Amino acid sequence: MHIFRLLLCGGMFFSHQVRAERMVTDLSSHAIEITSQFSGTELMIFGAIERAITQSRGQNIVVEGIDYDIIVVVQSGRHDVVVRRKEMIGPIWANKAFRTLKDVQGYYAVTTTRPISQILTPEQQRLLGAGIDRLKIDFKEPVSKEEEKNFRAGFIRNMKAKKLYSQQEGTISVLDDILFRAILYFPANMPVGDYQVEVHLVRDGEVILSQQSSLEVGKKGLERLIYNFAHESPAYYGIMAIILALSAGWLGGFVTRKM
Amino acid sequence: MQIYLPIAEMSINIFLLLFMGGGVGFLSGMFGVGGGFLMTPLLIFIGVPPAVAVATEANQITAASVSGALAHGRRGGIDYKMGSVLIAGGAVGSYFGSMLFTILKATGQVDLMISLSYVVFLGGIGGMMFVESVRSILRNRRGDKPIAGRRPRTWIDALPFKMRFRASKMYISAILPLAIGGLVGVLAAIMGVGGGFIMVPAMIYLLNMPINVVIGTSLFQITFVTASVTFLHSVNTQTVDVMLALILLTGAVIGAQVGARVGLKLKGEQLRILLAILVLVVCGKMAVDLVSEPDEVYSITPVGRSH
Repeated sequence: MHIFRLLLCGGMFFSHQVRAERMVTDLSSHAIEITSQFSGTELMIFGAIERAITQSRGQNIVVEGIDYDIIVVVQSGRHDVVVRRKEMIGPIWANKAFRTLKDVQGYYAVTTTRPISQILTPEQQRLLGAGIDRLKIDFKEPVSKEEEKNFRAGFIRNMKAKKLYSQQEGTISVLDDILFRAILYFPANMPVGDYQVEVHLVRDGEVILSQQSSLEVGKKGLERLIYNFAHESPAYYGIMAIILALSAGWLGGFVTRKM
Repeated sequence: MQIYLPIAEMSINIFLLLFMGGGVGFLSGMFGVGGGFLMTPLLIFIGVPPAVAVATEANQITAASVSGALAHGRRGGIDYKMGSVLIAGGAVGSYFGSMLFTILKATGQVDLMISLSYVVFLGGIGGMMFVESVRSILRNRRGDKPIAGRRPRTWIDALPFKMRFRASKMYISAILPLAIGGLVGVLAAIMGVGGGFIMVPAMIYLLNMPINVVIGTSLFQITFVTASVTFLHSVNTQTVDVMLALILLTGAVIGAQVGARVGLKLKGEQLRILLAILVLVVCGKMAVDLVSEPDEVYSITPVGRSH
Protein backbone atom coordinates (compact mmCIF):
# COMPACT_ATOMS: atom_id res chain seq x y z
CA MET A 1 0.00 0.00 0.00
CA HIS A 2 2.79 2.35 0.92
CA ILE A 3 4.61 1.53 -2.23
CA PHE A 4 1.49 2.14 -4.26
CA ARG A 5 0.93 5.57 -2.71
CA LEU A 6 4.53 6.44 -3.33
CA LEU A 7 4.23 5.44 -6.92
CA LEU A 8 1.08 7.47 -7.31
CA CYS A 9 2.75 10.54 -5.80
CA GLY A 10 5.72 9.99 -7.98
CA GLY A 11 3.43 9.66 -10.92
CA MET A 12 1.81 12.98 -10.17
CA PHE A 13 5.14 14.60 -9.68
CA PHE A 14 6.58 13.39 -12.94
CA SER A 15 3.31 14.15 -14.61
CA HIS A 16 3.33 13.36 -18.28
CA GLN A 17 6.41 11.23 -18.67
CA VAL A 18 5.33 8.83 -16.04
CA ARG A 19 1.54 8.81 -16.06
CA ALA A 20 0.98 8.61 -19.76
CA GLU A 21 -2.47 7.76 -20.95
CA ARG A 22 -2.64 7.05 -24.59
CA MET A 23 -5.52 7.68 -26.92
CA VAL A 24 -6.12 6.48 -30.45
CA THR A 25 -8.93 8.01 -32.50
CA ASP A 26 -10.28 7.79 -36.00
CA LEU A 27 -13.28 8.80 -38.09
CA SER A 28 -15.59 6.47 -39.94
CA SER A 29 -14.74 8.51 -43.00
CA HIS A 30 -12.26 11.28 -43.73
CA ALA A 31 -14.24 12.80 -46.55
CA ILE A 32 -17.89 13.67 -47.06
CA GLU A 33 -18.97 13.87 -50.66
CA ILE A 34 -21.97 15.96 -51.56
CA THR A 35 -23.49 14.20 -54.54
CA SER A 36 -26.87 14.73 -56.19
CA GLN A 37 -28.50 12.30 -53.77
CA PHE A 38 -26.93 13.87 -50.69
CA SER A 39 -29.44 14.57 -47.94
CA GLY A 40 -27.20 14.89 -44.91
CA THR A 41 -25.04 12.26 -43.29
CA GLU A 42 -23.73 10.89 -40.03
CA LEU A 43 -20.13 10.55 -39.06
CA MET A 44 -18.74 8.31 -36.35
CA ILE A 45 -15.75 9.39 -34.35
CA PHE A 46 -14.33 6.54 -32.33
CA GLY A 47 -11.26 5.68 -30.35
CA ALA A 48 -9.67 3.90 -27.45
CA ILE A 49 -8.09 5.13 -24.23
CA GLU A 50 -5.17 3.28 -22.75
CA ARG A 51 -5.45 3.94 -19.07
CA ALA A 52 -2.07 2.59 -18.11
CA ILE A 53 -0.02 4.38 -15.52
CA THR A 54 3.47 3.50 -16.43
CA GLN A 55 6.38 4.04 -14.21
CA SER A 56 9.97 4.34 -15.23
CA ARG A 57 10.83 0.73 -14.68
CA GLY A 58 8.30 -0.27 -17.28
CA GLN A 59 5.76 -1.90 -14.97
CA ASN A 60 2.13 -1.12 -15.56
CA ILE A 61 -0.24 -0.44 -12.70
CA VAL A 62 -3.88 -0.03 -13.56
CA VAL A 63 -5.69 2.32 -11.24
CA GLU A 64 -9.42 1.85 -10.92
CA GLY A 65 -11.88 4.62 -10.21
CA ILE A 66 -10.38 7.43 -12.23
CA ASP A 67 -12.98 8.99 -14.46
CA TYR A 68 -12.17 10.04 -17.96
CA ASP A 69 -14.30 12.34 -20.04
CA ILE A 70 -14.25 12.80 -23.78
CA ILE A 71 -15.12 15.99 -25.60
CA VAL A 72 -15.40 15.93 -29.39
CA VAL A 73 -15.48 19.21 -31.30
CA VAL A 74 -16.06 19.34 -35.05
CA GLN A 75 -15.87 22.64 -36.90
CA SER A 76 -15.72 23.88 -40.46
CA GLY A 77 -13.69 26.71 -41.92
CA ARG A 78 -14.56 30.25 -40.88
CA HIS A 79 -16.04 33.16 -42.74
CA ASP A 80 -17.95 36.35 -42.02
CA VAL A 81 -21.68 36.22 -41.55
CA VAL A 82 -24.17 39.08 -41.62
CA VAL A 83 -26.93 38.80 -39.05
CA ARG A 84 -30.01 40.91 -39.73
CA ARG A 85 -32.94 41.69 -37.52
CA LYS A 86 -36.46 42.26 -38.78
CA GLU A 87 -38.25 45.21 -37.27
CA MET A 88 -41.66 46.75 -37.80
CA ILE A 89 -41.51 49.41 -40.49
CA GLY A 90 -45.02 50.72 -40.77
CA PRO A 91 -47.24 47.64 -41.06
CA ILE A 92 -44.59 45.28 -42.41
CA TRP A 93 -41.68 43.37 -40.96
CA ALA A 94 -38.45 44.18 -42.77
CA ASN A 95 -34.74 43.65 -42.18
CA LYS A 96 -33.37 46.72 -40.46
CA ALA A 97 -30.52 46.43 -37.98
CA PHE A 98 -27.56 44.26 -38.90
CA ARG A 99 -24.15 43.27 -37.54
CA THR A 100 -21.31 41.39 -39.18
CA LEU A 101 -19.83 38.51 -37.23
CA LYS A 102 -16.15 37.98 -37.93
CA ASP A 103 -14.78 34.58 -38.86
CA VAL A 104 -17.40 32.28 -37.43
CA GLN A 105 -17.63 28.57 -38.08
CA GLY A 106 -20.17 27.55 -40.71
CA TYR A 107 -20.56 24.24 -38.92
CA TYR A 108 -19.90 23.54 -35.26
CA ALA A 109 -20.76 20.48 -33.25
CA VAL A 110 -19.70 19.47 -29.78
CA THR A 111 -20.51 16.23 -28.07
CA THR A 112 -19.43 14.95 -24.67
CA THR A 113 -19.66 12.11 -22.22
CA ARG A 114 -21.32 14.25 -19.51
CA PRO A 115 -22.84 17.73 -19.26
CA ILE A 116 -19.98 19.96 -20.26
CA SER A 117 -20.32 22.20 -17.20
CA GLN A 118 -19.47 19.19 -15.03
CA ILE A 119 -16.33 18.47 -17.04
CA LEU A 120 -14.69 21.86 -17.48
CA THR A 121 -14.92 25.33 -16.00
CA PRO A 122 -16.35 28.09 -18.19
CA GLU A 123 -12.85 29.51 -18.62
CA GLN A 124 -11.50 26.16 -19.81
CA GLN A 125 -14.41 25.79 -22.21
CA ARG A 126 -13.64 29.20 -23.65
CA LEU A 127 -9.97 28.37 -24.14
CA LEU A 128 -10.78 25.05 -25.75
CA GLY A 129 -13.64 26.44 -27.85
CA ALA A 130 -15.87 23.73 -26.46
CA GLY A 131 -19.53 24.55 -26.01
CA ILE A 132 -21.76 26.73 -28.14
CA ASP A 133 -22.30 29.25 -25.34
CA ARG A 134 -18.56 29.70 -24.89
CA LEU A 135 -17.71 30.29 -28.54
CA LYS A 136 -15.71 33.40 -29.23
CA ILE A 137 -17.73 35.60 -31.55
CA ASP A 138 -16.35 38.97 -32.61
CA PHE A 139 -18.27 41.78 -34.27
CA LYS A 140 -17.00 43.95 -37.10
CA GLU A 141 -19.11 46.93 -36.12
CA PRO A 142 -19.09 48.48 -32.66
CA VAL A 143 -21.84 46.90 -30.61
CA SER A 144 -23.32 47.46 -27.18
CA LYS A 145 -23.33 44.67 -24.59
CA GLU A 146 -27.08 44.30 -24.94
CA GLU A 147 -27.02 44.12 -28.74
CA GLU A 148 -24.04 41.77 -28.70
CA LYS A 149 -26.10 39.38 -26.59
CA ASN A 150 -29.15 39.68 -28.88
CA PHE A 151 -27.29 39.26 -32.17
CA ARG A 152 -25.20 36.42 -30.80
CA ALA A 153 -28.30 34.59 -29.58
CA GLY A 154 -30.10 35.24 -32.87
CA PHE A 155 -27.16 33.91 -34.84
CA ILE A 156 -26.92 30.76 -32.75
CA ARG A 157 -30.68 30.13 -32.93
CA ASN A 158 -30.48 30.36 -36.74
CA MET A 159 -27.53 27.99 -36.94
CA LYS A 160 -29.19 25.52 -34.56
CA ALA A 161 -32.40 25.62 -36.60
CA LYS A 162 -30.41 24.82 -39.73
CA LYS A 163 -28.78 21.98 -37.74
CA LEU A 164 -25.40 23.57 -38.47
CA TYR A 165 -24.63 24.13 -34.78
CA SER A 166 -25.28 21.41 -32.28
CA GLN A 167 -24.35 20.48 -28.75
CA GLN A 168 -25.09 17.01 -27.45
CA GLU A 169 -24.03 16.43 -23.89
CA GLY A 170 -23.72 12.93 -22.49
CA THR A 171 -24.18 11.20 -25.83
CA ILE A 172 -20.69 9.76 -26.24
CA SER A 173 -20.84 6.15 -25.21
CA VAL A 174 -17.84 4.61 -23.52
CA LEU A 175 -17.45 0.87 -23.45
CA ASP A 176 -15.54 -0.71 -20.56
CA ASP A 177 -13.85 2.64 -19.90
CA ILE A 178 -11.76 1.98 -22.99
CA LEU A 179 -13.65 2.31 -26.24
CA PHE A 180 -15.63 5.42 -27.01
CA ARG A 181 -17.87 6.37 -29.86
CA ALA A 182 -19.47 9.69 -30.87
CA ILE A 183 -21.94 10.14 -33.68
CA LEU A 184 -22.38 13.52 -35.32
CA TYR A 185 -24.95 14.63 -37.84
CA PHE A 186 -24.18 16.77 -40.88
CA PRO A 187 -27.13 18.37 -42.69
CA ALA A 188 -27.40 18.75 -46.47
CA ASN A 189 -26.78 22.49 -46.26
CA MET A 190 -23.37 22.05 -44.60
CA PRO A 191 -20.66 24.33 -45.98
CA VAL A 192 -17.94 22.72 -48.06
CA GLY A 193 -14.26 22.91 -47.19
CA ASP A 194 -11.83 21.44 -44.70
CA TYR A 195 -13.22 20.54 -41.31
CA GLN A 196 -11.31 20.02 -38.11
CA VAL A 197 -12.14 17.22 -35.72
CA GLU A 198 -10.73 17.51 -32.19
CA VAL A 199 -10.98 14.84 -29.52
CA HIS A 200 -10.07 15.90 -25.99
CA LEU A 201 -9.46 13.51 -23.15
CA VAL A 202 -10.22 15.08 -19.78
CA ARG A 203 -9.35 13.78 -16.33
CA ASP A 204 -10.06 15.55 -13.07
CA GLY A 205 -11.03 18.75 -14.85
CA GLU A 206 -7.87 18.84 -16.89
CA VAL A 207 -7.39 18.23 -20.57
CA ILE A 208 -4.65 15.65 -20.67
CA LEU A 209 -4.68 14.67 -24.31
CA SER A 210 -5.95 16.26 -27.52
CA GLN A 211 -5.97 14.79 -30.96
CA GLN A 212 -6.81 16.46 -34.23
CA SER A 213 -7.81 15.03 -37.52
CA SER A 214 -9.17 16.60 -40.64
CA LEU A 215 -12.33 15.97 -42.57
CA GLU A 216 -12.81 17.07 -46.13
CA VAL A 217 -16.25 18.10 -47.33
CA GLY A 218 -16.70 18.70 -51.03
CA LYS A 219 -19.24 18.59 -53.78
CA LYS A 220 -18.68 15.70 -56.13
CA GLY A 221 -19.69 14.75 -59.65
CA LEU A 222 -22.34 16.81 -61.37
CA GLU A 223 -22.94 18.92 -58.24
CA ARG A 224 -19.33 19.99 -58.14
CA LEU A 225 -19.26 20.63 -61.88
CA ILE A 226 -22.34 22.86 -61.80
CA TYR A 227 -21.32 24.72 -58.65
CA ASN A 228 -17.77 25.41 -59.80
CA PHE A 229 -18.89 26.35 -63.28
CA ALA A 230 -21.43 28.83 -61.90
CA HIS A 231 -18.90 30.49 -59.61
CA GLU A 232 -15.73 30.35 -61.70
CA SER A 233 -17.04 31.33 -65.11
CA PRO A 234 -20.47 32.89 -64.46
CA ALA A 235 -20.81 34.37 -67.95
CA TYR A 236 -20.32 31.02 -69.69
CA TYR A 237 -22.56 29.40 -67.11
CA GLY A 238 -25.29 31.91 -67.96
CA ILE A 239 -24.93 31.21 -71.67
CA MET A 240 -25.00 27.47 -70.98
CA ALA A 241 -28.17 27.88 -68.88
CA ILE A 242 -29.83 29.79 -71.74
CA ILE A 243 -28.82 27.22 -74.38
CA LEU A 244 -29.97 24.42 -72.10
CA ALA A 245 -33.35 26.13 -71.57
CA LEU A 246 -33.81 26.88 -75.27
CA SER A 247 -33.02 23.33 -76.34
CA ALA A 248 -35.12 21.81 -73.54
CA GLY A 249 -38.04 24.05 -74.49
CA TRP A 250 -37.66 23.29 -78.17
CA LEU A 251 -37.43 19.56 -77.43
CA GLY A 252 -40.48 19.74 -75.15
CA GLY A 253 -42.48 21.48 -77.85
CA PHE A 254 -41.30 18.97 -80.44
CA VAL A 255 -42.25 15.98 -78.28
CA THR A 256 -45.67 17.33 -77.34
CA ARG A 257 -46.52 18.17 -80.96
CA LYS A 258 -46.04 14.49 -81.76
CA MET A 259 -48.25 13.42 -78.87
CA MET B 1 -36.07 10.42 -53.62
CA GLN B 2 -34.05 13.38 -52.36
CA ILE B 3 -32.03 15.48 -54.74
CA TYR B 4 -29.37 18.01 -53.81
CA LEU B 5 -29.61 21.32 -55.68
CA PRO B 6 -26.09 22.64 -56.28
CA ILE B 7 -26.85 26.38 -56.32
CA ALA B 8 -29.77 26.52 -53.88
CA GLU B 9 -27.58 24.29 -51.63
CA MET B 10 -30.46 22.31 -50.27
CA SER B 11 -31.77 18.80 -50.46
CA ILE B 12 -35.32 18.35 -51.59
CA ASN B 13 -37.66 15.62 -52.78
CA ILE B 14 -37.46 15.41 -56.57
CA PHE B 15 -41.09 14.26 -56.83
CA LEU B 16 -42.28 17.36 -54.99
CA LEU B 17 -40.46 19.49 -57.58
CA LEU B 18 -41.86 17.46 -60.48
CA PHE B 19 -45.33 17.72 -58.96
CA MET B 20 -44.98 21.51 -58.57
CA GLY B 21 -43.71 21.81 -62.13
CA GLY B 22 -46.60 19.69 -63.35
CA GLY B 23 -49.18 21.58 -61.29
CA VAL B 24 -48.03 25.01 -62.40
CA GLY B 25 -47.63 23.69 -65.95
CA PHE B 26 -51.21 22.42 -65.81
CA LEU B 27 -52.50 25.82 -64.69
CA SER B 28 -50.43 27.68 -67.24
CA GLY B 29 -51.65 25.38 -70.00
CA MET B 30 -55.23 25.80 -68.85
CA PHE B 31 -55.13 29.58 -68.50
CA GLY B 32 -52.58 30.29 -71.20
CA VAL B 33 -50.24 32.14 -68.83
CA GLY B 34 -46.55 31.64 -68.17
CA GLY B 35 -46.84 30.46 -64.60
CA GLY B 36 -43.77 32.27 -63.28
CA PHE B 37 -45.91 34.32 -60.91
CA LEU B 38 -47.10 31.05 -59.32
CA MET B 39 -43.87 29.09 -59.40
CA THR B 40 -41.59 31.72 -57.85
CA PRO B 41 -43.76 32.14 -54.72
CA LEU B 42 -44.20 28.35 -54.48
CA LEU B 43 -40.43 27.86 -54.57
CA ILE B 44 -40.07 30.47 -51.85
CA PHE B 45 -42.77 28.78 -49.74
CA ILE B 46 -40.91 25.43 -49.86
CA GLY B 47 -37.68 27.06 -48.69
CA VAL B 48 -35.68 27.88 -51.81
CA PRO B 49 -33.81 31.15 -51.17
CA PRO B 50 -35.90 33.90 -52.86
CA ALA B 51 -32.98 35.13 -54.97
CA VAL B 52 -32.40 31.62 -56.34
CA ALA B 53 -36.13 31.14 -56.93
CA VAL B 54 -36.35 34.33 -59.01
CA ALA B 55 -33.24 33.72 -61.12
CA THR B 56 -33.98 30.04 -61.71
CA GLU B 57 -37.57 30.74 -62.64
CA ALA B 58 -36.39 33.22 -65.30
CA ASN B 59 -34.30 30.38 -66.72
CA GLN B 60 -37.26 28.01 -66.70
CA ILE B 61 -39.53 30.55 -68.41
CA THR B 62 -37.03 30.87 -71.27
CA ALA B 63 -37.58 27.17 -71.90
CA ALA B 64 -41.33 27.35 -71.38
CA SER B 65 -41.84 30.26 -73.78
CA VAL B 66 -39.52 29.25 -76.62
CA SER B 67 -41.64 26.35 -77.84
CA GLY B 68 -44.76 28.55 -77.77
CA ALA B 69 -42.93 31.33 -79.59
CA LEU B 70 -41.74 28.88 -82.27
CA ALA B 71 -45.25 27.53 -82.74
CA HIS B 72 -46.72 31.03 -83.10
CA GLY B 73 -43.87 32.00 -85.42
CA ARG B 74 -44.69 29.15 -87.78
CA ARG B 75 -48.30 30.34 -87.88
CA GLY B 76 -47.19 33.91 -88.59
CA GLY B 77 -48.42 35.02 -85.19
CA ILE B 78 -45.40 37.17 -84.32
CA ASP B 79 -44.89 40.83 -85.16
CA TYR B 80 -41.09 40.67 -85.26
CA LYS B 81 -40.63 44.42 -85.55
CA MET B 82 -42.85 45.08 -82.54
CA GLY B 83 -41.13 42.17 -80.77
CA SER B 84 -37.71 43.72 -81.38
CA VAL B 85 -38.80 47.08 -79.98
CA LEU B 86 -40.22 45.32 -76.90
CA ILE B 87 -36.99 43.32 -76.54
CA ALA B 88 -34.89 46.49 -76.78
CA GLY B 89 -36.93 47.94 -73.91
CA GLY B 90 -36.76 44.61 -72.08
CA ALA B 91 -32.96 44.44 -72.36
CA VAL B 92 -32.59 47.85 -70.72
CA GLY B 93 -35.24 47.03 -68.12
CA SER B 94 -33.71 43.69 -67.20
CA TYR B 95 -30.30 45.31 -66.87
CA PHE B 96 -31.55 47.88 -64.38
CA GLY B 97 -33.75 45.31 -62.66
CA SER B 98 -30.77 43.02 -62.21
CA MET B 99 -28.64 45.89 -60.86
CA LEU B 100 -31.36 46.75 -58.36
CA PHE B 101 -31.59 43.06 -57.45
CA THR B 102 -27.83 42.82 -56.88
CA ILE B 103 -27.73 45.94 -54.70
CA LEU B 104 -30.72 44.83 -52.64
CA LYS B 105 -29.27 41.35 -52.23
CA ALA B 106 -26.10 42.87 -50.81
CA THR B 107 -28.09 45.01 -48.37
CA GLY B 108 -30.39 42.20 -47.31
CA GLN B 109 -33.56 43.71 -48.73
CA VAL B 110 -34.06 41.48 -51.77
CA ASP B 111 -36.58 39.14 -50.12
CA LEU B 112 -38.65 42.08 -49.01
CA MET B 113 -38.61 43.61 -52.48
CA ILE B 114 -39.66 40.31 -54.08
CA SER B 115 -42.58 39.93 -51.66
CA LEU B 116 -43.63 43.56 -52.00
CA SER B 117 -43.60 43.45 -55.81
CA TYR B 118 -45.67 40.28 -55.73
CA VAL B 119 -48.22 41.75 -53.38
CA VAL B 120 -48.54 44.95 -55.41
CA PHE B 121 -48.61 43.41 -58.90
CA LEU B 122 -50.54 40.23 -58.17
CA GLY B 123 -53.00 42.18 -56.01
CA GLY B 124 -53.55 44.77 -58.71
CA ILE B 125 -53.78 42.39 -61.66
CA GLY B 126 -55.78 39.76 -59.78
CA GLY B 127 -58.24 42.37 -58.52
CA MET B 128 -58.68 43.88 -61.98
CA MET B 129 -59.13 40.48 -63.59
CA PHE B 130 -61.67 39.47 -60.99
CA VAL B 131 -63.77 42.62 -61.39
CA GLU B 132 -63.52 42.48 -65.17
CA SER B 133 -64.59 38.85 -65.47
CA VAL B 134 -67.47 39.26 -63.02
CA ARG B 135 -68.65 42.26 -65.04
CA SER B 136 -68.46 40.43 -68.34
CA ILE B 137 -70.39 37.48 -66.92
CA LEU B 138 -73.10 39.88 -65.72
CA ARG B 139 -73.11 41.57 -69.13
CA ASN B 140 -73.57 38.22 -70.87
CA ARG B 141 -76.46 37.37 -68.56
CA ARG B 142 -78.20 40.61 -69.42
CA GLY B 143 -77.45 40.00 -73.08
CA ASP B 144 -75.62 43.31 -73.62
CA LYS B 145 -73.13 43.36 -76.46
CA PRO B 146 -69.81 45.17 -76.09
CA ILE B 147 -69.73 48.25 -78.29
CA ALA B 148 -67.40 47.69 -81.21
CA GLY B 149 -65.78 50.48 -83.14
CA ARG B 150 -62.68 52.50 -83.70
CA ARG B 151 -60.66 53.38 -80.67
CA PRO B 152 -60.89 57.05 -79.87
CA ARG B 153 -57.70 59.08 -80.28
CA THR B 154 -55.83 59.51 -77.01
CA TRP B 155 -52.53 60.86 -75.65
CA ILE B 156 -50.86 57.74 -77.06
CA ASP B 157 -51.31 58.99 -80.61
CA ALA B 158 -49.67 62.29 -79.71
CA LEU B 159 -46.31 60.71 -78.78
CA PRO B 160 -43.35 61.29 -81.14
CA PHE B 161 -41.00 58.74 -82.84
CA LYS B 162 -43.73 56.95 -84.73
CA MET B 163 -42.98 53.62 -86.36
CA ARG B 164 -44.91 51.47 -88.79
CA PHE B 165 -45.61 47.91 -87.67
CA ARG B 166 -46.84 46.02 -90.74
CA ALA B 167 -47.73 42.72 -89.10
CA SER B 168 -49.90 44.55 -86.56
CA LYS B 169 -51.17 47.07 -89.13
CA MET B 170 -50.28 49.92 -86.80
CA TYR B 171 -48.50 53.24 -86.99
CA ILE B 172 -47.65 54.30 -83.45
CA SER B 173 -44.90 55.84 -81.37
CA ALA B 174 -42.04 53.51 -80.40
CA ILE B 175 -41.92 55.07 -76.94
CA LEU B 176 -44.87 53.13 -75.56
CA PRO B 177 -43.73 49.61 -76.62
CA LEU B 178 -40.22 50.49 -75.38
CA ALA B 179 -41.64 51.51 -72.00
CA ILE B 180 -43.82 48.40 -71.77
CA GLY B 181 -40.85 46.20 -72.70
CA GLY B 182 -38.72 48.00 -70.13
CA LEU B 183 -41.24 47.50 -67.32
CA VAL B 184 -41.55 43.82 -68.21
CA GLY B 185 -37.76 43.52 -68.20
CA VAL B 186 -37.55 45.00 -64.70
CA LEU B 187 -40.28 42.68 -63.44
CA ALA B 188 -38.62 39.64 -65.03
CA ALA B 189 -35.38 40.48 -63.25
CA ILE B 190 -36.82 41.18 -59.80
CA MET B 191 -39.82 38.83 -59.70
CA GLY B 192 -38.82 35.84 -61.85
CA VAL B 193 -41.86 36.18 -64.07
CA GLY B 194 -42.19 36.33 -67.84
CA GLY B 195 -44.37 39.39 -67.50
CA GLY B 196 -47.06 38.14 -69.86
CA PHE B 197 -49.70 39.13 -67.33
CA ILE B 198 -48.67 42.77 -67.76
CA MET B 199 -47.64 42.71 -71.39
CA VAL B 200 -50.66 40.99 -72.91
CA PRO B 201 -53.23 43.40 -71.42
CA ALA B 202 -50.91 46.32 -72.25
CA MET B 203 -50.64 45.20 -75.88
CA ILE B 204 -54.37 44.73 -76.20
CA TYR B 205 -55.67 47.77 -74.33
CA LEU B 206 -52.83 50.31 -74.61
CA LEU B 207 -51.32 49.51 -78.01
CA ASN B 208 -54.51 48.09 -79.54
CA MET B 209 -52.60 45.33 -81.26
CA PRO B 210 -54.61 42.71 -83.17
CA ILE B 211 -55.30 39.68 -80.95
CA ASN B 212 -53.75 37.20 -83.44
CA VAL B 213 -50.23 38.59 -82.96
CA VAL B 214 -50.44 39.50 -79.25
CA ILE B 215 -49.65 36.12 -77.68
CA GLY B 216 -46.94 35.16 -80.19
CA THR B 217 -45.18 38.52 -79.94
CA SER B 218 -45.35 38.47 -76.16
CA LEU B 219 -43.86 34.94 -76.03
CA PHE B 220 -41.16 36.06 -78.49
CA GLN B 221 -40.24 38.95 -76.22
CA ILE B 222 -40.42 36.84 -73.04
CA THR B 223 -38.00 34.26 -74.48
CA PHE B 224 -35.36 36.90 -75.10
CA VAL B 225 -35.90 38.95 -71.96
CA THR B 226 -35.83 35.96 -69.59
CA ALA B 227 -32.69 34.75 -71.39
CA SER B 228 -31.14 38.14 -70.71
CA VAL B 229 -32.25 37.95 -67.06
CA THR B 230 -30.77 34.46 -66.74
CA PHE B 231 -27.46 35.74 -68.04
CA LEU B 232 -27.41 38.83 -65.80
CA HIS B 233 -28.30 36.91 -62.63
CA SER B 234 -25.70 34.24 -63.46
CA VAL B 235 -23.03 36.90 -63.75
CA ASN B 236 -24.08 39.20 -60.90
CA THR B 237 -25.34 36.91 -58.17
CA GLN B 238 -24.71 33.29 -59.28
CA THR B 239 -28.25 32.34 -58.34
CA VAL B 240 -29.39 30.37 -61.41
CA ASP B 241 -29.80 26.69 -60.51
CA VAL B 242 -29.95 24.77 -63.80
CA MET B 243 -30.65 21.51 -62.01
CA LEU B 244 -33.76 22.99 -60.37
CA ALA B 245 -34.83 24.63 -63.64
CA LEU B 246 -34.58 21.37 -65.58
CA ILE B 247 -36.60 19.38 -63.02
CA LEU B 248 -39.36 22.02 -62.91
CA LEU B 249 -39.37 22.16 -66.69
CA THR B 250 -39.83 18.42 -67.07
CA GLY B 251 -42.94 18.56 -64.90
CA ALA B 252 -44.19 21.72 -66.59
CA VAL B 253 -44.01 20.32 -70.15
CA ILE B 254 -46.27 17.42 -69.21
CA GLY B 255 -48.59 19.51 -67.04
CA ALA B 256 -49.07 22.15 -69.71
CA GLN B 257 -50.35 19.59 -72.22
CA VAL B 258 -52.96 18.24 -69.83
CA GLY B 259 -53.90 21.76 -68.75
CA ALA B 260 -54.40 22.95 -72.31
CA ARG B 261 -56.86 20.11 -72.96
CA VAL B 262 -58.84 20.78 -69.78
CA GLY B 263 -58.84 24.52 -70.53
CA LEU B 264 -60.63 23.96 -73.84
CA LYS B 265 -63.63 22.55 -71.97
CA LEU B 266 -64.10 25.59 -69.72
CA LYS B 267 -65.60 28.96 -70.58
CA GLY B 268 -63.37 32.03 -70.89
CA GLU B 269 -64.97 34.01 -68.07
CA GLN B 270 -64.98 31.09 -65.68
CA LEU B 271 -61.31 30.52 -66.42
CA ARG B 272 -60.49 34.14 -65.77
CA ILE B 273 -62.36 34.19 -62.46
CA LEU B 274 -60.53 31.03 -61.36
CA LEU B 275 -57.19 32.52 -62.39
CA ALA B 276 -58.03 35.79 -60.61
CA ILE B 277 -58.85 33.90 -57.40
CA LEU B 278 -55.61 31.93 -57.66
CA VAL B 279 -53.60 35.11 -58.16
CA LEU B 280 -55.32 36.75 -55.19
CA VAL B 281 -54.67 33.74 -52.94
CA VAL B 282 -50.93 33.79 -53.72
CA CYS B 283 -50.89 37.55 -53.19
CA GLY B 284 -52.79 37.20 -49.91
CA LYS B 285 -50.37 34.59 -48.57
CA MET B 286 -47.41 36.86 -49.34
CA ALA B 287 -49.14 39.87 -47.79
CA VAL B 288 -49.92 37.95 -44.59
CA ASP B 289 -46.28 36.81 -44.37
CA LEU B 290 -45.16 40.43 -44.66
CA VAL B 291 -47.32 41.82 -41.86
CA SER B 292 -47.37 38.95 -39.38
CA GLU B 293 -44.65 38.81 -36.79
CA PRO B 294 -42.01 36.28 -37.87
CA ASP B 295 -41.13 33.38 -35.54
CA GLU B 296 -37.50 34.35 -35.82
CA VAL B 297 -36.66 38.00 -36.38
CA TYR B 298 -32.97 37.31 -36.89
CA SER B 299 -31.64 35.89 -40.14
CA ILE B 300 -28.16 35.14 -41.39
CA THR B 301 -26.32 35.59 -44.69
CA PRO B 302 -22.82 34.29 -45.23
CA VAL B 303 -20.50 36.82 -46.87
CA GLY B 304 -17.27 36.32 -48.74
CA ARG B 305 -17.51 32.58 -48.79
CA SER B 306 -14.50 31.09 -50.41
CA HIS B 307 -14.49 27.63 -51.82
